Amino acid sequence: MVNEDADVVARVLAGDGEAFGILIRRYEPGLLRFATRMLGNPDAAADAVAESFVRAYRHLAQCRDPSRLRSWLYRITGNRCRSHLARRHTNDIPLSEAPAPALAEASDAWEILERSEQVALVERALAALPAEKREAFVLKHVEGMSYEEMAAVTGARIPTLKMRVHRAREALLEALEEVVR
Amino acid sequence: MSPIDPRLQEALDAERDPGELPADLREAYARLMSAAELLQTTPRLSVATRIMTEIGRLPAPVHSDGPMRRIIRWFGRPRAVTLRLRPAWTLALAVGLGAMLLLSFQQDSTPTPGASEGIANFIGHFPGATSVEVVGSFNNWSRGAIHLNDDDHDGIWHGAVVLPAGAHEYMFVVDGERWVPDPLAGRYVDDGFGAGQENSLLFVRPAAAQP
Repeated sequence: MVNEDADVVARVLAGDGEAFGILIRRYEPGLLRFATRMLGNPDAAADAVAESFVRAYRHLAQCRDPSRLRSWLYRITGNRCRSHLARRHTNDIPLSEAPAPALAEASDAWEILERSEQVALVERALAALPAEKREAFVLKHVEGMSYEEMAAVTGARIPTLKMRVHRAREALLEALEEVVR
Repeated sequence: MSPIDPRLQEALDAERDPGELPADLREAYARLMSAAELLQTTPRLSVATRIMTEIGRLPAPVHSDGPMRRIIRWFGRPRAVTLRLRPAWTLALAVGLGAMLLLSFQQDSTPTPGASEGIANFIGHFPGATSVEVVGSFNNWSRGAIHLNDDDHDGIWHGAVVLPAGAHEYMFVVDGERWVPDPLAGRYVDDGFGAGQENSLLFVRPAAAQP
């Protein structure tokens, strides 16, 4: 996949603009998932991802290492998400403040919750995290990145990222335990 | 927020077999992994058509073997240089070089960074531009102080200035009126004006810290 990315980038830079579609098909699902988890809003995520791909296309020649295109794309998308979060209107209701679904009181509440309710719960807990911890958790546990790749995406140092992931886990676990207690 | 057992963190970092965890930690492990799995659901939407339409209106990206890269590669490639000089010419050359060196010490206008300063290099690709300036937190966002050059008219503008070590926000001003962030900056911060615009962010290392 890594070498294939470099090949596709070379094709685009040689004038085959349609080849960029290969990169979109390859990375759009993951980037949309990442942006949706960061922004808590599919429409805003779609905007962020579209803007990121266009930005990536315009500056493709400046991608220093096309074999690390995935990290580069996630980095651009992460920046767009941060920008969206910074300019989010204050009258928007954050996802973390949306009403919580009603919960069962059984000891195995987690298991009997419907999947859609579980997703809503986890999304709410995730949205309550500060953006940096949310990003770290999503890159690690949703996108399955190594700490090295996360460092390339975020520009943060590995010990910092580990600390963010650890804190995010603690906050998430606490939130989930409260909700199913 | 209470800290969770380090053994659980290790298991979640794939540094420990989760099967070795005590029952309560195994449950917490399963809960977090289950939450992560729920978040892995991929949204059922696509912006591919929108992106392809938009990039169809853009000029093709410049190939990475542009003039700047060719120049950089030329300078980076090792070359054998042979000089065959007569002793008299060698002496004359040494005298000449010495004189030039002396002169350069007297007339050198290139700023040299102090211990708490560093050199910031700015490069931007602005084909067709007639002027490119850099404004930023280091010059109170004033124009007219830092001009970039494009001596070979290839659209690549560059310049170097000495700045205090640390973080600086900046923008390029193209043709005296168009403010654009540096696409190569890598780091950006909101400009604080509420319109969603971003300034580029630059970190200058002190010259004393340079290898």
